[in-house]
Amino acid sequence: MSDLRISSVLRGAKIKIFVNGKGCTAYEGETVHAALLAAGYRLLRKTPKTDQPRGIFCGMGVCYDCLVAINGTPNQRACMARVEDRMEIEVDEQ
Amino acid sequence: MNNKYHVIIVGSGLAGLAAADILSRYGVHILVIDDNAHTGGQLLRKQPYAGRGSKRFEPDRLKRHGARLAARLQKDNVQILNGTQVLGIYPEHTLLIEDSRRNVSEYRADSLIIATGARERQLPFKGWTLPGVMSTGAAQILMKSSGILPGRKTLIGGCGPLLLALAAEILASRGHVLAVLDQGSTTMKLKAISAGPAIWPKLFEGATYLARLAAARVSVQQRVRIVEARGRQHLEEVIVADVDADGRIVRGTERSYPTDTLAVGYGFSPNIELPQQAGCAVKFSNAKGGWYVAVDDTMTSTVADIYAVGETTGIAGAGKSIVEGRIAAWTILNKQGAVDWPTYETKTRPLTRQRSRQVRYGRFLNQLCRPQPDCYADILDETMVCRCEEITIGEVRRQLNNGFTTMNAIKRATRCGMGHCQGRTCGPILFDIISTFTQRPPAAVGCASARAPVKTVSLGALAQMTVNSGDDHEGRSHG
Repeated sequence: MSDLRISSVLRGAKIKIFVNGKGCTAYEGETVHAALLAAGYRLLRKTPKTDQPRGIFCGMGVCYDCLVAINGTPNQRACMARVEDRMEIEVDEQ
Repeated sequence: MNNKYHVIIVGSGLAGLAAADILSRYGVHILVIDDNAHTGGQLLRKQPYAGRGSKRFEPDRLKRHGARLAARLQKDNVQILNGTQVLGIYPEHTLLIEDSRRNVSEYRADSLIIATGARERQLPFKGWTLPGVMSTGAAQILMKSSGILPGRKTLIGGCGPLLLALAAEILASRGHVLAVLDQGSTTMKLKAISAGPAIWPKLFEGATYLARLAAARVSVQQRVRIVEARGRQHLEEVIVADVDADGRIVRGTERSYPTDTLAVGYGFSPNIELPQQAGCAVKFSNAKGGWYVAVDDTMTSTVADIYAVGETTGIAGAGKSIVEGRIAAWTILNKQGAVDWPTYETKTRPLTRQRSRQVRYGRFLNQLCRPQPDCYADILDETMVCRCEEITIGEVRRQLNNGFTTMNAIKRATRCGMGHCQGRTCGPILFDIISTFTQRPPAAVGCASARAPVKTVSLGALAQMTVNSGDDHEGRSHG
């Protein structure tokens, strides 16, 4: 278990998600942005104009900074989606 | 298709829940819509598996009340759409919505209750777009909804009491807090205490947090502000400095904190885009957190049969939200003839009194979270204001000097506020920048217009939209 997961929290079933094709552990009930952070992905995308890195900012669906592709659908807010087993997530190059 | 309801409530936070609770008891056919996957808004966020097996006692009275309201909503006459965003409100109370399966369709109601809540306010600094810099709310949400710490070491900055609450929460989760840096001063807090007894329980709460931080040897500093966040692909270092009474940086006091996470917040701003798009009048008050939806004592907005409740009518927390949700529900029931005038009077008189107390508390809270107006002058030219369109404060300053001195003028001249978030993040910041620069009153600076779709939607989803034909409206019954 990654060191960012709080040990006292009771978790859902252990599942597997794929980030840019690489398998990572997540737990049912977690949001996509939290699972990505725990898996070590802080950079989620680069901006179209100046190629600057972005990650989690507002965490509640307001800012659209955490846009990722989920199961092939681009521009999804990672903070508003929950992980599912075998979910495929694409983030920009680290 | 049957998309017609007596009442549609947008937002399932405490304000929306309180309204739905009363209306549902009178057999009113209700639809509750929420952008989030869960019901209950920001206050009732919890890890879906945390409560199972062990029924822990919830110490917060408002959260207990909210949980009861949410549980009571499981009724035949109440439908809830989660993961659904409202794109716009059109004549005859027609809502254009996008549901969780990305289907766009129309819904109609006799009355609308708008309870869209609030968002966090920010003060930009160079590098605030780096991964690892997040809002205090984002840090809290990571812990509450997913049981994940925001970072290995977290530095907390900004203004107001939420900074202490977040620090205490990270410590309780066995995380590491580097320091809490509050831009406000003790003088500011002492002034706010004159708000009266309504805030005394909150002072006690604050003292409890301070004691916990002291026990963990976490440094709590006042009149300190974030100057710059540095790092290549993500945050590595934060530069901070002392500020004077006006919020201006005291040169020579700059110092560095190596860290992977910085959580920042400057209080809250009402989410007014949807009611504004629907034509509801908005007003400005720093005591209410910025631009807010104007309502009368019955919670009616300036548009007939559209009610606004909770944070969208002014920031004051969950207590005011519950009270306003209830008042709106009784108003609708009285208008529909379900309760008579004397009953309405008896039910709403104590609520109206509670509401004025809550508004006074809100004034205190918003005062504590507000950065000093002069502090904008120290923001470096290369700092982003609009994160979506990547517009710097230097570009905004250039256009201000060119004579573009209202919200809408700056928006057109720079594209500030025209990106994905539609100005939700940069709007309140831009308003303060223009106000400080022009020294003109809020009405002259204005509020950027909101147009449909007020939330991002794909063209594909719009193109596949389910359209109700005109004659279809006839003979459709409630429910």
